[in-house]
Amino acid sequence: MSDSQWRVWEVFHQQARGDAHIYVGSVHAPDAEMALLLAKEQYGRRQACVNMWVVDARHIHRTEYSDSDIFSPGTDKSYREAYGYDTTRRIRAVRESRKGGTARDGGEET
Amino acid sequence: MTPSVIENAGDLSGPLRAAVIELLYWLADNDLVMGHRNSEWTGLGPILEADIAFSSMAQDEMGHALAYYQLLHDLGERDPDSLAFVREPREFRCAALVCLQRDDWAFSLVRQFLYDSAEHVRLTHLASSAYQPLASLARKLVGEEKYHLMHGRSWIERLGRATDESRARLAAAMAKAAPHAAGLFEAGPHDALLAQAGILPSERALWDEWRDSIAADLSHAELAMPGRPPVLPPAGRFGLHPADLAPLLEAMQRVYRLDPTAAW
Repeated sequence: MSDSQWRVWEVFHQQARGDAHIYVGSVHAPDAEMALLLAKEQYGRRQACVNMWVVDARHIHRTEYSDSDIFSPGTDKSYREAYGYDTTRRIRAVRESRKGGTARDGGEET
Repeated sequence: MTPSVIENAGDLSGPLRAAVIELLYWLADNDLVMGHRNSEWTGLGPILEADIAFSSMAQDEMGHALAYYQLLHDLGERDPDSLAFVREPREFRCAALVCLQRDDWAFSLVRQFLYDSAEHVRLTHLASSAYQPLASLARKLVGEEKYHLMHGRSWIERLGRATDESRARLAAAMAKAAPHAAGLFEAGPHDALLAQAGILPSERALWDEWRDSIAADLSHAELAMPGRPPVLPPAGRFGLHPADLAPLLEAMQRVYRLDPTAAW
């Protein structure tokens, strides 16, 4: 099979209406309509799918891997995480105290 | 007159039962042979993605054939495996177009377009057939056939406007396929009865509808509309096939026939 001269399209599928589209891979195709057509058979036939997007890979702008250090926190940023809050600790404490008691594990705020 | 609804296989009797059985063989055998022909592209398609899509559609057709064979089995015919793998060419009820050898990609695409646009028209009517097992099956198959139609249309449209070479190959493929198009709508021995009972409109009516449905596609691709002779001599629907069918069946049935009792 000779190498494709067709462009690369990135494929996103949606498993149920209202869900976020999830990236699943790429296809080669000469245009958007054909990309959708071919993506359907590559990515839509083995799992639930109600909708599909294709994006011309040329339209995706990306960071450089050499810059990946911009994503690592230089200092403690736990205050940005849910687990950093007192409420979370209180919920956990309530859960612990209820172990073996009620089956409800919703963690009512007290 | 509104034809009465037939709920189950058990409610079919007499001439209408024979007519539905004959129709189901026509539907099933066309799909099986078309599916097998198109599966011959697996691993050989011009582009990986195109290969996978074409192969997947071939599997769809075989799946549709299996579903029709199951309806036949429900009407007292043999089991699906025996129907697919043990019958002789003259027992098959399929159009010449699906029997023809694979040839090049252009021919296979033109054939896929002609075949699936025809199936689309047929399934649309079968979905409201008076025979409920067939109607409910048709409604399940409509989605896959809609995709097949989109596939065929997209390719024809693109090859029809791409390059001098693609146009020439497309035109040559259509010239070869067109004389066999009418055979996709060959009337069976019970054509009038099936129409009268609300099972499926006459093949002649389906042909007219099909021609209207593809007129715009062919015109965009600058392809001539296939014609239909005033009288179609009995052909595939009566077991009279081009020589291409026998080798196809021989290849398809060889392994099964080594040991028909083997469990798979």
